[in-house]
Amino acid sequence: MRRIVITAGGTAFGVLLLLAAKPHQTGSAEAAPVVAAPKGAVSGSATGVHTVIGGSVGTALGPVQLKVAFDGSRITGVTVLEEPDSTPRDEQINAQAIPVLTQETLAAQNADIDAVSGATFTSQGYIGSLQSALDAAK
Amino acid sequence: MTSTVASRTATDPGPPLRHGDTAAQALLTAIGIGAVAVIYLWWSDTGPIIGAAQWITNGARLCGLLAGYTAPVLVLLMSRIPPLDRTLGTDRLARWHAMGGRYFVGLVASHITLIIWGYSLTDNTNVVHQTTEIVFHYPDMLKATCGTLLLFGVGAVSARAARRRLRYETWYHLHLLTYVAIVLVFFHQLSNGDQFLHDQAARICWYCLYLGAGAVVLWFRFALPGRDALRHQLRVAEVRTEAPGVVSVLVTGRRLEELAARTRPGQFFRWRFLAPGLAWSANPYSLSAPPTGGSLRITVKERGGHSAALAGLRPGTRVLAEGPYGAFTADRRSNPKVLLLAAGVGITPLRTLFETLPAAPGHLTLIYRAGREQDLLFRAELEAVAQARGARLHYLVGPRTEIGEPLQTRTLLTLLPDLRDHDVYLCGPQGMVATAREALDTAGVPARRVHYESFEF
Repeated sequence: MRRIVITAGGTAFGVLLLLAAKPHQTGSAEAAPVVAAPKGAVSGSATGVHTVIGGSVGTALGPVQLKVAFDGSRITGVTVLEEPDSTPRDEQINAQAIPVLTQETLAAQNADIDAVSGATFTSQGYIGSLQSALDAAK
Repeated sequence: MTSTVASRTATDPGPPLRHGDTAAQALLTAIGIGAVAVIYLWWSDTGPIIGAAQWITNGARLCGLLAGYTAPVLVLLMSRIPPLDRTLGTDRLARWHAMGGRYFVGLVASHITLIIWGYSLTDNTNVVHQTTEIVFHYPDMLKATCGTLLLFGVGAVSARAARRRLRYETWYHLHLLTYVAIVLVFFHQLSNGDQFLHDQAARICWYCLYLGAGAVVLWFRFALPGRDALRHQLRVAEVRTEAPGVVSVLVTGRRLEELAARTRPGQFFRWRFLAPGLAWSANPYSLSAPPTGGSLRITVKERGGHSAALAGLRPGTRVLAEGPYGAFTADRRSNPKVLLLAAGVGITPLRTLFETLPAAPGHLTLIYRAGREQDLLFRAELEAVAQARGARLHYLVGPRTEIGEPLQTRTLLTLLPDLRDHDVYLCGPQGMVATAREALDTAGVPARRVHYESFEF
């Protein structure tokens, strides 16, 4: 009985130590890789309603690419062209994370938004692709 | 307790580590290194951990990886690799396997709980919805769920309390289902595990670990015994009553001298008699005489089921013997003087060691405990061996109600004043082994020099 308590307690303690040893913060915007929007990304008149395709950002789980809709300089919508979807888990996470990221974008009107916890890679890709679209739209 | 330890260190520095202890340490170290490698696999591709959901999910991943590593290790411990078995002992490996098995079930349970909890926190869904999502929509998870249920079923059956209500044979065959469970659960690790999805090398390692363990089991538990069965064609030659409720079975076959040559006295085989009602179980019985080219002998006390049916065996019955197994041999001794301490039918391996253990005249003693005079086995043989080798032989006979606890420190010291200079080989019912170990400890015999093999699997 004592042995069981020691092994179970020891394992739990070890796992907690390992988890605690990992970093617990990330600067979301800084961590996002910098990419450029593809050529001919902008379609439509820059002063009216138009869309810009952002650069494709490679993440550990796969590439992320956005298409951003503008009315003049105001962001009116974000469409995800590419996202990590190799596993059901990725799909499930993105289904949760992408609406949140889009909402944040529409509210902030720039790429300085928070990453969604649990969807670090998707967030980084999203922010990186969004920034490149914003840069191309200027 | 402290005084025993103190006086022991004062008089002698203790025997050097036995071969088996070194092997045990080496094996445990190897298992530990593997576990560290598995933890490193997690460490190397895990980014920052932000928020409760990720703490929980990553805890779940660690538990899962460790469980995934433990499964093949547990299988390997039970694969009966002869060098491992001979140095560490079947009983010790089985104990490790049993302890590891409980640990494994704990890891699996933690993995499942934490994964569901962590995922539902990430996705803001409830636990029930998340569970159905995982079971039905994630790849290979339906298989893994079936495997896990099977595993928990076997775990519940193996729990000691439940096992007493089950026949050994039933328990054993249910236990084999864990192989099926491990195969069913294997695939979800590679198709869902973050550590494997994006890491070809890790996937290959995992395949090697599992396929390697499978190959070792197939080879040592099936291929080799199969080859031996064909080669030796063992059959029952004679069944002889030795004492009330105790029978000896003599087995003959082809090329027995080969089998005899690789058997060390004190080892056992797993015997399967191809007779109605017996063919389904292979029970461990020690040889009760040194193996010769002519025949092998086992001696069994009727304790129910399998052992009782042996009395009715007909000469000519085919026999499959897997082995030899066990480390209850001369390799364990570290002293010139040896005491063999037997109770009841536990005399069987000691009867063999009494004849074969190298010892100078006067250095070998057999103390044999039995409840009644007529329960003493092999009296003529033992007395002949004692005379031929100049070995001492003592019987402790009589019911406890009349003679008191026979295996007391005082009794043992009266028979052997220099008990502390002896290696002791113990074999008997569990209660006797426990009593004798206590008495020997009080007498100052270091635990390392007390050798016993327990068959409570």
